[in-house]
Amino acid sequence: MTTASTRNTSQLHVTVAITKRGLMRMRRLPSLMIPSIIMPIFFVVAFSGSFSSVVELDGYSTDKAVNWMAAWAILQGSAFSGLGGGGLTATDLENGFFDRMRAAPITPSALISGLVGYSVTRAVLPTTAVLIVSFAALDADMPGGLLGFIVAYLTAIGIAAVMSLFVLGIVFTMKTLKSLAIAQVVMFSTMFLSVGQAPLEAIQGWLYHVAKYNPITHVIRMGRQGFLGDVTWAETQPGFISLALLLIGSSLWARACYQKVDI
Amino acid sequence: MSRPIEAENLTRTFGNLVAVNSINLTVEEGEVFGFLGPNGAGKSTAVRMLTTLLKPTGGAARVAGFDVASEASMVRKKIGVALQDAAIDPLMTGNELLRLQAVLHGISRHEGKQRCAELLERVGLTAAGDKRVGTYSGGMRRRLDLALSLVHQPKVLFLDEPTTGLDPTSRVALWEEVRTLNKEIGTTVFLTTQYLEEADQLAQRIAIIDNGRIVREGTPTKLKSDVGAPTLRVDVAESDFETAKQVMTKLGEERPARKGRIAIGLDGGTRAITSVLKSLEDQDIEVQHVELDEPSLDDVFADATGRRLEGGSDT
Repeated sequence: MTTASTRNTSQLHVTVAITKRGLMRMRRLPSLMIPSIIMPIFFVVAFSGSFSSVVELDGYSTDKAVNWMAAWAILQGSAFSGLGGGGLTATDLENGFFDRMRAAPITPSALISGLVGYSVTRAVLPTTAVLIVSFAALDADMPGGLLGFIVAYLTAIGIAAVMSLFVLGIVFTMKTLKSLAIAQVVMFSTMFLSVGQAPLEAIQGWLYHVAKYNPITHVIRMGRQGFLGDVTWAETQPGFISLALLLIGSSLWARACYQKVDI
Repeated sequence: MSRPIEAENLTRTFGNLVAVNSINLTVEEGEVFGFLGPNGAGKSTAVRMLTTLLKPTGGAARVAGFDVASEASMVRKKIGVALQDAAIDPLMTGNELLRLQAVLHGISRHEGKQRCAELLERVGLTAAGDKRVGTYSGGMRRRLDLALSLVHQPKVLFLDEPTTGLDPTSRVALWEEVRTLNKEIGTTVFLTTQYLEEADQLAQRIAIIDNGRIVREGTPTKLKSDVGAPTLRVDVAESDFETAKQVMTKLGEERPARKGRIAIGLDGGTRAITSVLKSLEDQDIEVQHVELDEPSLDDVFADATGRRLEGGSDT
Protein backbone atom coordinates (compact mmCIF):
# COMPACT_ATOMS: atom_id res chain seq x y z
CA MET A 1 0.00 0.00 0.00
CA THR A 2 1.26 3.46 -0.81
CA THR A 3 1.88 6.01 1.88
CA ALA A 4 -0.24 9.12 1.65
CA SER A 5 2.06 12.06 2.06
CA THR A 6 1.27 14.57 4.77
CA ARG A 7 0.71 18.03 3.39
CA ASN A 8 -1.46 21.02 3.91
CA THR A 9 -4.78 20.83 2.18
CA SER A 10 -5.07 23.34 -0.67
CA GLN A 11 -8.14 25.35 0.20
CA LEU A 12 -8.54 26.39 -3.45
CA HIS A 13 -8.66 22.74 -4.51
CA VAL A 14 -11.25 22.12 -1.80
CA THR A 15 -13.40 24.99 -3.06
CA VAL A 16 -13.20 23.73 -6.64
CA ALA A 17 -13.95 20.14 -5.56
CA ILE A 18 -17.04 21.19 -3.61
CA THR A 19 -18.27 23.32 -6.51
CA LYS A 20 -17.74 20.43 -8.91
CA ARG A 21 -19.58 18.08 -6.60
CA GLY A 22 -22.63 20.37 -6.61
CA LEU A 23 -22.59 20.63 -10.40
CA MET A 24 -22.20 16.88 -10.74
CA ARG A 25 -25.27 16.38 -8.53
CA MET A 26 -27.19 18.86 -10.64
CA ARG A 27 -26.28 16.94 -13.81
CA ARG A 28 -27.43 13.68 -12.25
CA LEU A 29 -30.57 15.11 -10.73
CA PRO A 30 -31.83 17.71 -13.24
CA SER A 31 -34.92 18.33 -11.14
CA LEU A 32 -32.61 20.33 -8.87
CA MET A 33 -32.15 22.88 -11.64
CA ILE A 34 -35.30 22.82 -13.77
CA PRO A 35 -37.41 25.11 -11.53
CA SER A 36 -34.77 27.81 -11.50
CA ILE A 37 -34.62 27.77 -15.32
CA ILE A 38 -38.33 27.36 -16.06
CA MET A 39 -39.51 29.94 -13.52
CA PRO A 40 -37.65 32.98 -14.96
CA ILE A 41 -38.47 31.97 -18.54
CA PHE A 42 -42.15 31.71 -17.62
CA PHE A 43 -41.83 35.04 -15.85
CA VAL A 44 -40.35 36.95 -18.78
CA VAL A 45 -42.77 35.42 -21.30
CA ALA A 46 -45.89 35.94 -19.20
CA PHE A 47 -45.15 39.40 -17.85
CA SER A 48 -43.74 40.85 -21.05
CA GLY A 49 -47.01 39.91 -22.77
CA SER A 50 -49.47 40.74 -19.99
CA PHE A 51 -47.86 44.05 -19.11
CA SER A 52 -46.73 45.15 -22.56
CA SER A 53 -48.29 48.60 -22.14
CA VAL A 54 -46.83 49.24 -18.70
CA VAL A 55 -43.71 50.74 -20.27
CA GLU A 56 -45.80 53.73 -21.35
CA LEU A 57 -45.72 54.88 -17.71
CA ASP A 58 -42.96 57.20 -16.48
CA GLY A 59 -39.73 55.64 -15.29
CA TYR A 60 -39.54 52.54 -17.48
CA SER A 61 -37.13 54.17 -19.92
CA THR A 62 -37.85 51.65 -22.67
CA ASP A 63 -40.54 51.03 -25.21
CA LYS A 64 -40.43 47.26 -24.86
CA ALA A 65 -41.72 45.49 -21.74
CA VAL A 66 -39.41 42.56 -22.43
CA ASN A 67 -36.35 44.78 -21.94
CA TRP A 68 -37.59 45.63 -18.45
CA MET A 69 -38.80 42.18 -17.54
CA ALA A 70 -35.81 40.22 -18.93
CA ALA A 71 -33.39 41.81 -16.49
CA TRP A 72 -35.86 41.25 -13.65
CA ALA A 73 -36.33 37.60 -14.63
CA ILE A 74 -32.57 37.09 -14.86
CA LEU A 75 -32.01 38.45 -11.38
CA GLN A 76 -34.88 36.42 -9.94
CA GLY A 77 -33.49 33.30 -11.57
CA SER A 78 -30.08 34.11 -10.09
CA ALA A 79 -31.54 34.66 -6.64
CA PHE A 80 -33.31 31.31 -6.95
CA SER A 81 -30.03 29.69 -8.03
CA GLY A 82 -28.55 31.07 -4.84
CA LEU A 83 -30.69 28.54 -3.01
CA GLY A 84 -28.61 25.77 -4.61
CA GLY A 85 -25.72 25.80 -2.16
CA GLY A 86 -28.15 26.11 0.74
CA GLY A 87 -30.24 23.19 -0.51
CA LEU A 88 -27.16 21.02 -0.94
CA THR A 89 -25.94 21.95 2.54
CA ALA A 90 -29.32 21.28 4.15
CA THR A 91 -29.38 17.83 2.52
CA ASP A 92 -25.81 17.17 3.67
CA LEU A 93 -26.60 18.32 7.19
CA GLU A 94 -29.64 16.07 7.37
CA ASN A 95 -27.88 12.96 6.10
CA GLY A 96 -24.58 13.57 7.90
CA PHE A 97 -22.43 14.16 4.83
CA PHE A 98 -21.65 17.66 6.05
CA ASP A 99 -19.93 16.18 9.11
CA ARG A 100 -17.71 14.15 6.81
CA MET A 101 -16.48 17.38 5.23
CA ARG A 102 -16.17 19.15 8.59
CA ALA A 103 -14.08 16.28 9.93
CA ALA A 104 -11.49 16.98 7.23
CA PRO A 105 -8.75 19.61 7.70
CA ILE A 106 -10.45 22.26 5.60
CA THR A 107 -11.31 25.82 6.53
CA PRO A 108 -14.93 27.00 6.83
CA SER A 109 -14.13 29.64 4.21
CA ALA A 110 -13.08 27.00 1.67
CA LEU A 111 -16.23 25.01 2.34
CA ILE A 112 -18.50 28.05 2.10
CA SER A 113 -16.70 29.29 -1.03
CA GLY A 114 -17.25 25.94 -2.70
CA LEU A 115 -20.96 26.08 -1.97
CA VAL A 116 -21.17 29.66 -3.22
CA GLY A 117 -19.20 28.65 -6.30
CA TYR A 118 -21.83 26.02 -7.03
CA SER A 119 -24.68 28.52 -6.65
CA VAL A 120 -22.94 31.11 -8.79
CA THR A 121 -22.24 28.62 -11.57
CA ARG A 122 -25.87 27.56 -11.46
CA ALA A 123 -26.92 31.18 -11.98
CA VAL A 124 -25.34 31.23 -15.43
CA LEU A 125 -27.93 28.75 -16.72
CA PRO A 126 -31.16 30.73 -16.05
CA THR A 127 -29.43 33.93 -17.13
CA THR A 128 -28.48 32.41 -20.45
CA ALA A 129 -31.89 30.76 -20.87
CA VAL A 130 -33.75 34.03 -20.27
CA LEU A 131 -31.48 35.91 -22.67
CA ILE A 132 -31.97 33.31 -25.40
CA VAL A 133 -35.76 33.32 -25.03
CA SER A 134 -35.94 37.12 -24.73
CA PHE A 135 -33.86 37.77 -27.83
CA ALA A 136 -34.95 34.81 -29.95
CA ALA A 137 -38.68 34.82 -29.21
CA LEU A 138 -39.62 38.13 -27.59
CA ASP A 139 -37.63 40.62 -29.67
CA ALA A 140 -35.64 42.08 -26.76
CA ASP A 141 -32.99 44.78 -27.32
CA MET A 142 -29.63 45.40 -25.68
CA PRO A 143 -28.79 49.04 -26.37
CA GLY A 144 -25.86 48.72 -23.98
CA GLY A 145 -24.24 46.26 -26.38
CA LEU A 146 -21.68 43.69 -25.25
CA LEU A 147 -21.00 45.64 -22.07
CA GLY A 148 -24.70 45.38 -21.26
CA PHE A 149 -24.52 41.58 -21.49
CA ILE A 150 -21.37 41.48 -19.38
CA VAL A 151 -22.87 43.69 -16.66
CA ALA A 152 -26.08 41.60 -16.68
CA TYR A 153 -24.10 38.38 -16.18
CA LEU A 154 -21.88 39.87 -13.48
CA THR A 155 -24.90 41.24 -11.62
CA ALA A 156 -26.61 37.86 -11.87
CA ILE A 157 -23.53 36.17 -10.46
CA GLY A 158 -23.29 38.75 -7.68
CA ILE A 159 -26.94 38.35 -6.70
CA ALA A 160 -26.53 34.55 -6.69
CA ALA A 161 -23.48 34.84 -4.42
CA VAL A 162 -25.23 37.19 -1.98
CA MET A 163 -28.37 35.06 -1.82
CA SER A 164 -26.32 31.88 -1.51
CA LEU A 165 -24.41 33.26 1.49
CA PHE A 166 -27.61 34.55 3.05
CA VAL A 167 -29.36 31.19 2.62
CA LEU A 168 -26.32 29.29 3.91
CA GLY A 169 -26.49 31.33 7.11
CA ILE A 170 -30.11 30.31 7.63
CA VAL A 171 -29.37 26.67 6.81
CA PHE A 172 -26.35 26.55 9.15
CA THR A 173 -28.59 27.89 11.91
CA MET A 174 -31.62 25.65 11.36
CA LYS A 175 -29.79 22.60 9.96
CA THR A 176 -32.80 21.33 8.04
CA LEU A 177 -34.32 21.45 4.55
CA LYS A 178 -37.29 23.27 6.05
CA SER A 179 -35.04 26.30 6.45
CA LEU A 180 -35.16 26.77 2.66
CA ALA A 181 -38.81 27.79 2.86
CA ILE A 182 -37.96 30.58 5.29
CA ALA A 183 -34.96 31.58 3.22
CA GLN A 184 -37.11 31.82 0.08
CA VAL A 185 -39.70 34.05 1.74
CA VAL A 186 -37.07 36.47 3.03
CA MET A 187 -35.10 36.33 -0.22
CA PHE A 188 -37.99 37.04 -2.57
CA SER A 189 -39.49 39.66 -0.26
CA THR A 190 -36.21 41.52 -0.48
CA MET A 191 -36.19 41.19 -4.25
CA PHE A 192 -39.81 42.27 -4.73
CA LEU A 193 -39.50 45.25 -2.37
CA SER A 194 -37.25 46.94 -4.92
CA VAL A 195 -37.47 48.35 -8.44
CA GLY A 196 -37.46 44.83 -9.89
CA GLN A 197 -41.09 44.90 -10.94
CA ALA A 198 -41.67 48.62 -11.43
CA PRO A 199 -39.59 51.83 -11.40
CA LEU A 200 -39.61 54.04 -8.32
CA GLU A 201 -41.83 56.54 -10.15
CA ALA A 202 -44.59 53.92 -10.32
CA ILE A 203 -44.36 52.84 -6.68
CA GLN A 204 -46.37 54.60 -3.97
CA GLY A 205 -46.66 54.75 -0.17
CA TRP A 206 -44.36 52.80 2.13
CA LEU A 207 -43.34 50.55 -0.72
CA TYR A 208 -41.72 53.55 -2.38
CA HIS A 209 -39.56 54.27 0.67
CA VAL A 210 -38.58 50.65 1.17
CA ALA A 211 -37.70 50.25 -2.51
CA LYS A 212 -35.73 53.50 -2.53
CA TYR A 213 -33.46 52.43 0.33
CA ASN A 214 -33.32 48.72 -0.51
CA PRO A 215 -29.73 48.08 -1.71
CA ILE A 216 -31.09 45.49 -4.13
CA THR A 217 -32.67 48.40 -6.03
CA HIS A 218 -29.22 49.70 -6.97
CA VAL A 219 -28.04 46.23 -7.90
CA ILE A 220 -31.04 45.66 -10.16
CA ARG A 221 -30.54 49.04 -11.81
CA MET A 222 -26.92 48.11 -12.48
CA GLY A 223 -27.88 44.79 -14.08
CA ARG A 224 -30.74 46.26 -16.06
CA GLN A 225 -29.03 49.35 -17.49
CA GLY A 226 -27.76 47.65 -20.66
CA PHE A 227 -31.34 46.65 -21.59
CA LEU A 228 -32.51 50.26 -21.29
CA GLY A 229 -29.60 52.26 -22.71
CA ASP A 230 -25.85 52.70 -22.44
CA VAL A 231 -23.87 51.26 -19.58
CA THR A 232 -22.62 54.17 -17.49
CA TRP A 233 -20.44 54.45 -14.42
CA ALA A 234 -23.08 56.68 -12.78
CA GLU A 235 -25.57 53.80 -12.90
CA THR A 236 -22.97 51.13 -12.18
CA GLN A 237 -21.29 52.69 -9.14
CA PRO A 238 -24.23 52.58 -6.65
CA GLY A 239 -25.03 49.04 -7.71
CA PHE A 240 -21.40 47.97 -7.45
CA ILE A 241 -21.03 49.48 -3.97
CA SER A 242 -24.34 47.96 -2.82
CA LEU A 243 -23.34 44.56 -4.17
CA ALA A 244 -19.93 44.76 -2.49
CA LEU A 245 -21.51 45.69 0.85
CA LEU A 246 -24.11 42.94 0.50
CA LEU A 247 -21.35 40.43 -0.27
CA ILE A 248 -19.34 41.48 2.77
CA GLY A 249 -22.40 41.44 5.03
CA SER A 250 -23.68 38.10 3.78
CA SER A 251 -20.19 36.57 4.02
CA LEU A 252 -19.88 37.64 7.64
CA TRP A 253 -23.40 36.34 8.31
CA ALA A 254 -22.67 32.94 6.74
CA ARG A 255 -19.33 32.65 8.53
CA ALA A 256 -20.90 33.56 11.90
CA CYS A 257 -23.77 31.11 11.40
CA TYR A 258 -21.30 28.34 10.50
CA GLN A 259 -20.25 28.33 14.16
CA LYS A 260 -23.77 27.20 15.02
CA VAL A 261 -23.43 23.95 13.08
CA ASP A 262 -21.79 22.18 16.01
CA ILE A 263 -24.33 23.32 18.58
CA MET B 1 5.07 10.76 23.52
CA SER B 2 1.44 11.40 24.26
CA ARG B 3 -1.23 8.77 23.89
CA PRO B 4 -3.47 8.71 20.78
CA ILE B 5 -6.52 9.65 22.84
CA GLU B 6 -6.64 11.29 26.25
CA ALA B 7 -9.72 12.85 27.79
CA GLU B 8 -9.91 14.54 31.15
CA ASN B 9 -13.26 15.45 32.68
CA LEU B 10 -14.66 15.79 29.17
CA THR B 11 -18.17 17.16 29.42
CA ARG B 12 -20.89 18.23 27.03
CA THR B 13 -24.19 19.72 28.02
CA PHE B 14 -27.15 20.72 25.87
CA GLY B 15 -29.09 23.16 28.00
CA ASN B 16 -29.95 21.26 31.15
CA LEU B 17 -29.13 17.90 29.62
CA VAL B 18 -25.70 16.52 30.48
CA ALA B 19 -24.97 14.25 27.52
CA VAL B 20 -21.39 13.45 28.53
CA ASN B 21 -20.56 13.89 32.17
CA SER B 22 -16.92 14.44 33.05
CA ILE B 23 -15.43 11.36 31.41
CA ASN B 24 -11.78 10.39 31.72
CA LEU B 25 -10.19 7.96 29.34
CA THR B 26 -6.92 7.07 27.69
CA VAL B 27 -6.35 4.94 24.64
CA GLU B 28 -2.94 3.45 23.99
CA GLU B 29 -1.06 3.38 20.70
CA GLY B 30 -2.22 0.53 18.43
CA GLU B 31 -5.13 -0.38 20.66
CA VAL B 32 -8.72 -1.17 19.68
CA PHE B 33 -10.74 0.60 22.33
CA GLY B 34 -14.43 -0.22 22.67
CA PHE B 35 -16.90 2.36 23.92
CA LEU B 36 -19.94 0.35 24.90
CA GLY B 37 -23.32 1.63 25.95
CA PRO B 38 -27.02 1.71 25.12
CA ASN B 39 -28.66 4.24 22.79
CA GLY B 40 -28.54 7.71 24.26
CA ALA B 41 -25.73 6.86 26.68
CA GLY B 42 -23.48 9.59 25.27
CA LYS B 43 -21.24 7.53 22.97
CA SER B 44 -21.78 9.55 19.82
CA THR B 45 -21.57 12.86 21.66
CA ALA B 46 -18.21 11.78 23.07
CA VAL B 47 -17.01 10.76 19.61
CA ARG B 48 -18.19 14.04 18.10
CA MET B 49 -16.13 15.91 20.69
CA LEU B 50 -13.07 13.74 20.15
CA THR B 51 -13.33 14.20 16.39
CA THR B 52 -13.65 18.02 16.76
CA LEU B 53 -17.21 18.10 15.39
CA LEU B 54 -18.64 19.28 18.70
CA LYS B 55 -17.03 21.65 21.17
CA PRO B 56 -16.78 20.36 24.75
CA THR B 57 -18.51 22.49 27.35
CA GLY B 58 -16.10 21.26 30.02
CA GLY B 59 -12.84 19.38 30.47
CA ALA B 60 -10.29 18.72 27.76
CA ALA B 61 -9.24 16.07 25.30
CA ARG B 62 -6.17 15.47 23.19
CA VAL B 63 -6.23 13.30 20.10
CA ALA B 64 -3.01 12.34 18.31
CA GLY B 65 -1.25 14.78 20.62
CA PHE B 66 -3.41 17.81 19.77
CA ASP B 67 -6.11 19.56 21.75
CA VAL B 68 -9.53 18.94 20.18
CA ALA B 69 -10.73 22.47 20.91
CA SER B 70 -7.75 24.68 20.16
CA GLU B 71 -5.92 22.52 17.59
CA ALA B 72 -8.89 21.06 15.75
CA SER B 73 -7.31 21.34 12.33
CA MET B 74 -4.24 19.34 13.41
CA VAL B 75 -6.49 16.69 14.98
CA ARG B 76 -8.45 16.38 11.74
CA LYS B 77 -5.26 15.69 9.78
CA LYS B 78 -4.47 12.73 11.99
CA ILE B 79 -7.85 11.06 12.40
CA GLY B 80 -10.21 9.05 10.25
CA VAL B 81 -13.89 9.17 11.06
CA ALA B 82 -16.75 6.87 10.10
CA LEU B 83 -19.82 8.25 11.80
CA GLN B 84 -23.16 6.58 12.39
CA ASP B 85 -25.39 5.80 9.39
CA ALA B 86 -22.59 5.87 6.80
CA ALA B 87 -23.20 9.43 5.63
CA ILE B 88 -22.60 9.03 1.92
CA ASP B 89 -23.97 11.02 -1.01
CA PRO B 90 -26.11 8.52 -2.95
CA LEU B 91 -25.70 10.43 -6.22
CA MET B 92 -21.92 10.01 -6.23
CA THR B 93 -19.96 6.90 -7.11
CA GLY B 94 -17.63 5.21 -4.66
CA ASN B 95 -14.66 6.39 -6.71
CA GLU B 96 -15.86 10.00 -6.78
CA LEU B 97 -16.40 10.03 -3.03
CA LEU B 98 -12.92 8.67 -2.40
CA ARG B 99 -11.41 11.24 -4.75
CA LEU B 100 -13.30 14.05 -3.02
CA GLN B 101 -12.12 12.77 0.35
CA ALA B 102 -8.54 12.72 -0.98
CA VAL B 103 -8.83 16.38 -2.05
CA LEU B 104 -10.27 17.32 1.35
CA HIS B 105 -7.15 15.82 2.91
CA GLY B 106 -4.71 17.52 0.57
CA ILE B 107 -3.67 14.41 -1.35
CA SER B 108 -2.52 15.11 -4.90
CA ARG B 109 -4.59 13.98 -7.87
CA HIS B 110 -2.11 11.28 -8.91
CA GLU B 111 -1.60 9.94 -5.40
CA GLY B 112 -5.30 10.17 -4.69
CA LYS B 113 -6.13 8.07 -7.74
CA GLN B 114 -3.72 5.37 -6.63
CA ARG B 115 -4.98 5.44 -3.01
CA CYS B 116 -8.60 5.21 -4.13
CA ALA B 117 -7.90 2.16 -6.28
CA GLU B 118 -6.05 0.48 -3.41
CA LEU B 119 -8.78 1.22 -0.90
CA LEU B 120 -11.57 0.04 -3.18
CA GLU B 121 -9.68 -3.20 -3.61
CA ARG B 122 -9.05 -3.48 0.11
CA VAL B 123 -12.74 -3.23 0.96
CA GLY B 124 -13.80 -5.37 -1.99
CA LEU B 125 -15.54 -2.64 -3.95
CA THR B 126 -13.36 -2.40 -7.06
CA ALA B 127 -16.14 -3.67 -9.32
CA ALA B 128 -18.67 -1.28 -7.78
CA GLY B 129 -16.34 1.73 -7.70
CA ASP B 130 -17.96 3.47 -10.65
CA LYS B 131 -21.52 2.75 -9.58
CA ARG B 132 -23.57 5.31 -7.69
CA VAL B 133 -23.60 4.72 -3.96
CA GLY B 134 -27.40 4.82 -4.01
CA THR B 135 -27.26 1.35 -5.56
CA TYR B 136 -25.01 -0.09 -2.80
CA SER B 137 -26.23 -2.46 -0.10
CA GLY B 138 -25.89 -1.50 3.57
CA GLY B 139 -22.73 -3.60 3.92
CA MET B 140 -21.16 -2.04 0.82
CA ARG B 141 -21.91 1.44 2.16
CA ARG B 142 -20.25 0.64 5.45
CA ARG B 143 -17.19 -0.74 3.70
CA LEU B 144 -17.00 2.37 1.54
CA ASP B 145 -17.42 4.49 4.66
CA LEU B 146 -14.46 2.67 6.18
CA ALA B 147 -12.41 3.20 3.02
CA LEU B 148 -13.26 6.92 3.06
CA SER B 149 -12.01 7.22 6.60
CA LEU B 150 -8.70 5.63 5.57
CA VAL B 151 -7.85 7.75 2.52
CA HIS B 152 -5.23 9.81 4.34
CA GLN B 153 -3.90 6.88 6.41
CA PRO B 154 -4.98 8.23 9.79
CA LYS B 155 -3.15 7.42 13.01
CA VAL B 156 -6.41 7.16 14.92
CA LEU B 157 -9.62 5.77 13.49
CA PHE B 158 -13.02 6.54 15.01
CA LEU B 159 -15.80 4.13 14.15
CA ASP B 160 -19.18 5.17 15.51
CA GLU B 161 -21.45 2.13 15.62
CA PRO B 162 -19.99 0.78 12.38
CA THR B 163 -22.15 -2.31 12.13
CA THR B 164 -25.54 -1.01 13.21
CA GLY B 165 -28.16 -2.26 10.78
CA LEU B 166 -25.85 -4.75 9.08
CA ASP B 167 -26.65 -8.41 8.52
CA PRO B 168 -24.46 -10.90 10.44
CA THR B 169 -22.26 -11.73 7.45
CA SER B 170 -21.50 -8.08 6.69
CA ARG B 171 -20.90 -7.46 10.37
CA VAL B 172 -18.31 -10.23 10.63
CA ALA B 173 -16.64 -9.03 7.40
CA LEU B 174 -16.30 -5.53 8.83
CA TRP B 175 -14.89 -6.87 12.09
CA GLU B 176 -12.29 -8.73 10.07
CA GLU B 177 -11.33 -5.55 8.24
CA VAL B 178 -10.97 -3.62 11.50
CA ARG B 179 -8.77 -6.38 12.95
CA THR B 180 -6.59 -6.37 9.85
CA LEU B 181 -6.18 -2.61 9.97
CA ASN B 182 -5.22 -2.76 13.59
CA LYS B 183 -2.79 -5.65 13.20
CA GLU B 184 -1.19 -4.87 9.84
CA ILE B 185 -1.04 -1.09 9.93
CA GLY B 186 -1.16 -0.55 13.67
CA THR B 187 -4.01 1.94 13.45
CA THR B 188 -5.44 2.89 16.84
CA VAL B 189 -9.19 2.29 16.72
CA PHE B 190 -11.83 3.94 18.89
CA LEU B 191 -15.02 1.97 18.37
CA THR B 192 -18.43 2.79 19.77
CA THR B 193 -20.99 0.07 19.83
CA GLN B 194 -24.13 -1.09 21.55
CA TYR B 195 -23.40 -4.69 20.66
CA LEU B 196 -21.78 -6.71 23.43
CA GLU B 197 -20.42 -9.29 21.05
CA GLU B 198 -18.80 -6.63 18.90
CA ALA B 199 -17.03 -5.08 21.85
CA ASP B 200 -15.98 -8.51 23.10
CA GLN B 201 -14.72 -9.60 19.68
CA LEU B 202 -12.82 -6.49 18.69
CA ALA B 203 -11.80 -4.41 21.68
CA GLN B 204 -8.66 -4.95 23.69
CA ARG B 205 -10.04 -2.56 26.30
CA ILE B 206 -13.57 -1.39 26.93
CA ALA B 207 -15.22 1.54 28.63
CA ILE B 208 -18.88 1.16 29.47
CA ILE B 209 -20.83 4.41 29.34
CA ASP B 210 -24.28 4.97 30.77
CA ASN B 211 -26.13 8.25 31.21
CA GLY B 212 -23.04 10.15 30.11
CA ARG B 213 -20.73 8.58 32.69
CA ILE B 214 -18.12 5.87 32.33
CA VAL B 215 -19.22 3.20 34.76
CA ARG B 216 -16.57 0.52 34.06
CA GLU B 217 -13.28 0.40 32.19
CA GLY B 218 -10.78 -2.37 31.55
CA THR B 219 -10.00 -5.37 29.40
CA PRO B 220 -13.01 -7.58 28.64
CA THR B 221 -11.43 -10.40 30.67
CA LYS B 222 -10.77 -8.19 33.66
CA LEU B 223 -14.21 -6.60 33.55
CA LYS B 224 -15.85 -10.00 33.42
CA SER B 225 -13.67 -11.49 36.14
CA ASP B 226 -14.43 -8.53 38.38
CA VAL B 227 -18.12 -9.42 38.21
CA GLY B 228 -17.43 -12.93 39.52
CA ALA B 229 -15.66 -16.20 38.83
CA PRO B 230 -16.86 -18.34 35.95
CA THR B 231 -19.28 -21.12 36.84
CA LEU B 232 -18.35 -24.74 36.11
CA ARG B 233 -21.29 -27.12 35.77
CA VAL B 234 -20.73 -30.86 35.77
CA ASP B 235 -23.11 -33.78 35.23
CA VAL B 236 -22.15 -37.16 36.75
CA ALA B 237 -23.90 -40.47 37.25
CA GLU B 238 -26.46 -40.45 40.11
CA SER B 239 -24.34 -42.91 42.12
CA ASP B 240 -21.32 -40.60 41.98
CA PHE B 241 -23.25 -37.42 42.73
CA GLU B 242 -22.50 -36.97 46.45
CA THR B 243 -18.80 -37.83 46.09
CA ALA B 244 -18.43 -35.53 43.14
CA LYS B 245 -20.13 -32.77 45.03
CA GLN B 246 -17.74 -33.17 47.97
CA VAL B 247 -14.73 -33.09 45.64
CA MET B 248 -15.89 -30.08 43.70
CA THR B 249 -17.01 -27.91 46.62
CA LYS B 250 -13.52 -28.24 48.05
CA LEU B 251 -12.25 -26.52 44.89
CA GLY B 252 -14.85 -23.79 44.56
CA GLU B 253 -17.90 -22.19 46.07
CA GLU B 254 -21.09 -24.11 45.36
CA ARG B 255 -23.55 -22.39 43.06
CA PRO B 256 -27.20 -23.15 42.34
CA ALA B 257 -27.76 -25.84 39.72
CA ARG B 258 -30.61 -27.99 38.45
CA LYS B 259 -31.19 -31.45 39.91
CA GLY B 260 -28.41 -33.92 39.06
CA ARG B 261 -25.89 -31.22 38.22
CA ILE B 262 -23.11 -29.75 40.36
CA ALA B 263 -22.04 -26.16 39.91
CA ILE B 264 -19.11 -24.32 41.48
CA GLY B 265 -17.49 -20.95 41.03
CA LEU B 266 -13.98 -21.25 39.61
CA ASP B 267 -12.05 -18.76 41.70
CA GLY B 268 -8.88 -19.64 39.83
CA GLY B 269 -10.50 -18.77 36.53
CA THR B 270 -10.82 -21.11 33.61
CA ARG B 271 -7.40 -22.64 34.34
CA ALA B 272 -8.91 -24.35 37.37
CA ILE B 273 -11.05 -26.58 35.15
CA THR B 274 -8.18 -29.01 34.70
CA SER B 275 -7.65 -29.51 38.41
CA VAL B 276 -11.39 -30.04 39.00
CA LEU B 277 -11.60 -32.66 36.27
CA LYS B 278 -8.40 -34.33 37.48
CA SER B 279 -9.72 -34.52 41.06
CA LEU B 280 -12.92 -36.15 39.77
CA GLU B 281 -10.91 -38.62 37.72
CA ASP B 282 -8.77 -39.49 40.76
CA GLN B 283 -12.01 -40.53 42.49
CA ASP B 284 -12.98 -42.68 39.48
CA ILE B 285 -15.92 -40.42 38.77
CA GLU B 286 -16.98 -40.38 35.15
CA VAL B 287 -17.91 -36.92 33.97
CA GLN B 288 -20.91 -37.05 31.61
CA HIS B 289 -21.17 -33.38 30.72
CA VAL B 290 -19.14 -30.23 31.40
CA GLU B 291 -20.30 -26.66 30.93
CA LEU B 292 -18.42 -23.46 31.64
CA ASP B 293 -20.38 -20.25 32.00
CA GLU B 294 -18.26 -17.11 32.04
CA PRO B 295 -19.76 -13.76 33.05
CA SER B 296 -20.66 -11.76 29.94
CA LEU B 297 -20.23 -8.07 29.26
CA ASP B 298 -23.96 -7.86 29.77
CA ASP B 299 -23.36 -9.11 33.32
CA VAL B 300 -20.73 -6.40 33.68
CA PHE B 301 -23.17 -3.78 32.40
CA ALA B 302 -25.91 -5.09 34.71
CA ASP B 303 -23.53 -5.09 37.65
CA ALA B 304 -22.62 -1.46 36.95
CA THR B 305 -26.02 -0.04 36.07
CA GLY B 306 -28.65 -2.44 37.41
CA ARG B 307 -29.99 -2.87 33.86
CA ARG B 308 -29.38 -5.30 31.05
CA LEU B 309 -27.96 -3.99 27.78
CA GLU B 310 -29.34 -6.89 25.78
CA GLY B 311 -32.96 -7.83 26.24
CA GLY B 312 -33.68 -4.71 28.22
CA SER B 313 -34.82 -6.44 31.41
CA ASP B 314 -33.73 -5.14 34.77
CA THR B 315 -31.60 -7.34 36.94
